[in-house]
Amino acid sequence: MSRISLLKCIAVLGLLASCRSEKPATLEEYPRWVGDIGFDSNLDDPAFQLCKDDYRAKQYFNMNEGVQFEGEKPAIDTYFKNAYKKPENSNQSGLIRIRFMVNCKGETGRFRLISSNNEYQSMAFSEEISTQLLELTKGLEGWKPLKMNSLEVDYYQYLIFRIEKGEIIEILP
Amino acid sequence: MRKSPFLFFFLFVSLQNGISQPNCLAFQYAGEETKYLSCLETEKCAGHYQFSREFQTHLDHAIALDSTWGYPYRAKSVAYLKSGEFIRWKQLVDKAVLYNPADNLGYRGWCRYQFFRDYTGAIADIEKLETIVNYDIGYSVNGDYHLKVAKALCYKALNQKEKAIEIIEAHFLSEEYFPGNYDYLHLGVLYLETGQSEKAQEAFLLQQERNPIAESHYYLAIDYFQQGTWENCIHELDLAAQLYSQNLKRFDTYTHPMDQIYWKDIEELRDKTTKAIKAQAKTSD
Repeated sequence: MSRISLLKCIAVLGLLASCRSEKPATLEEYPRWVGDIGFDSNLDDPAFQLCKDDYRAKQYFNMNEGVQFEGEKPAIDTYFKNAYKKPENSNQSGLIRIRFMVNCKGETGRFRLISSNNEYQSMAFSEEISTQLLELTKGLEGWKPLKMNSLEVDYYQYLIFRIEKGEIIEILP
Repeated sequence: MRKSPFLFFFLFVSLQNGISQPNCLAFQYAGEETKYLSCLETEKCAGHYQFSREFQTHLDHAIALDSTWGYPYRAKSVAYLKSGEFIRWKQLVDKAVLYNPADNLGYRGWCRYQFFRDYTGAIADIEKLETIVNYDIGYSVNGDYHLKVAKALCYKALNQKEKAIEIIEAHFLSEEYFPGNYDYLHLGVLYLETGQSEKAQEAFLLQQERNPIAESHYYLAIDYFQQGTWENCIHELDLAAQLYSQNLKRFDTYTHPMDQIYWKDIEELRDKTTKAIKAQAKTSD
């Protein structure tokens, strides 16, 4: 191939590459992945650091090992059973999800909470329930560091609490 | 034969995603032009992770082209389901059900059970599906359970154990029955919990024949413990521990399945049995 032909090929390939990388404006409304949690200085502890860049963080199930916690799920259940104090006379029922990140050392941070009634409609629980669960989840230690292809990863994990009249009746996933 | 691992992989991915790409040409052939164009848009999701902005955006475009097609709503919902974002998930999957109840009611019902332990919601969806179709209602999206068995598990969770047994037994007798990987385990546990020891043992042995997992040995050990046959109990616990160590146990990548056991359960029952044996020995002395 002559030098000129080679340069033409490179130019055409460059043009094609630039076309492919052009993003429709609508692409901007989503984060890299659904549910990504960026650092928020108003909410997050700056001491918590990911081991890798945000964009490399995985979901807990990406490693196909299920939920990985020291003592398995019974340890999580026991922790909340012992530590959670049901508010008196609470009539609130529904779901609370607390999602967070686990870094390659098993440390946790960037906690976010959503909640709904039993019909999956957004509903705020009392502080006695939601803040208590958030603080307890922050204090829960035992998340195992995970690897993918022998490389350490940071990952997203969540806990869902099914609440019935202020009482925890199930912890998921 | 060399292709079979790849076929298995694609089947697995398809099951995990809970949905397979429709054949767009079928819409064109049927003269459904907007659905055809929408479908072509969904084809652009190929190669993109279901959580990614590209995947989600192509589906948004598909919905913009035909907002009455259930498929893109359900495909969009998967990332929200798997990240536990139940509010957005429900909004999306409800749309999928609205536009195609026959294809999506069973799926929504299963997800309500598997991811959110919404037993009453799951039962409502599966029973609604039973009333609107005149064919087999099918399986859970991960392939583990026929939806009738899934419904029975929901009734069990609501403490309607006799009803759960009735549903499973009737399903076993139906023409459409194909043994599921864990059917006998769950039926055995139901028998055990309702005091039907003989039937429970039979079911656990069938489970071991078909798909040996730690759970069937563990629950059999419980049955032996309740009967005071300690040696049998310890033997079954040893087998349960052995299988557990080999990862031959109930497992789900996303959630913790019903009747799953943990190492702690095996250890606790072993301690209890050892104490019972010692107490019995003391009494004999």
